[in-house]
Amino acid sequence: MAAPAVESPRLSTNTKLLGVLLAGAAASVLLGVYADSHTPSGEKPYTLFFSDTIQLKAWFATAAVILAVVQVLLAMRIYGKLDWPKKVPPWLGDAHRLTGTVAFLVSLPVAYHCLWALGFQSGTTRVLIHSVVGCIFYGAFVTKVLSVRMHNLPNWVLPVIGGLVFAALVVIFLTSSLWFFTSSDAPRPIF
Amino acid sequence: MTFKQIVRGIEALALVAALVFVVLLFANDGGGGEAAPASGGAQLYSANCAGCHGVDGGGGLGPALAGEVTTAFPDIEDQITLVSEGRGSMPAFGGDLSEEQLRQLVEYTRTDLGS
Repeated sequence: MAAPAVESPRLSTNTKLLGVLLAGAAASVLLGVYADSHTPSGEKPYTLFFSDTIQLKAWFATAAVILAVVQVLLAMRIYGKLDWPKKVPPWLGDAHRLTGTVAFLVSLPVAYHCLWALGFQSGTTRVLIHSVVGCIFYGAFVTKVLSVRMHNLPNWVLPVIGGLVFAALVVIFLTSSLWFFTSSDAPRPIF
Repeated sequence: MTFKQIVRGIEALALVAALVFVVLLFANDGGGGEAAPASGGAQLYSANCAGCHGVDGGGGLGPALAGEVTTAFPDIEDQITLVSEGRGSMPAFGGDLSEEQLRQLVEYTRTDLGS
């Protein structure tokens, strides 16, 4: 005779929402505390095929932003905010997940160097914004990933958190890669 | 292998990469919580310059400073001007640091940094 099924206690929507928000906030705070308390190494641990680590970071961050733009466009089609293509292909949701995942993967070497070699800095307004938003980005990303896997969250949660992740990434790009590409007097070799 | 399976595989890879990311941050932590440098110039250097020029001035994203700046800038005023106004990818610190702080910082890079 089969044992009676034990019904697990269901968490309320608000509890789930609070949980994912707290998890994201904790990730942001932990990264900020690490970056601030860790002694920056100032080293350049990798360059791959680029001429310098900063070139690698600038281009990887650019790639992450481009992938994020594609992901937002795919999300807009999924949510019916775009009408093209007319018929939603069955692979659209997977493509949305893939672009987001690859953008995250590409961001990791950039973030690792920021946290480990440079640390949390506040020397200028640009650098302060970059440091703060960099921490917010990964917290928002954690919240987004957890929200995707939670059921029964309010409908506004995913678009809002996804928008926050995207906005944070754009700010990070503007205060680092774009600044790097535009602030130099002399032309910089890419590779 | 379907597209969905490929996506799931890459997601699993991302999860592993995130774990490795965290482990490496702490495994390579070379001494968080060290005492703050004593002098004003050292504190200013640590807060504003060490990220790019290295904790010991040995260089990083920016060029090495320790033992180099007095050769590159025989006149201290030229170095102060560069730090104040910036050049190329070197940001300007004139808006964030006072003249006295700029001089303290520059003097530190010329005398004590790396020693």
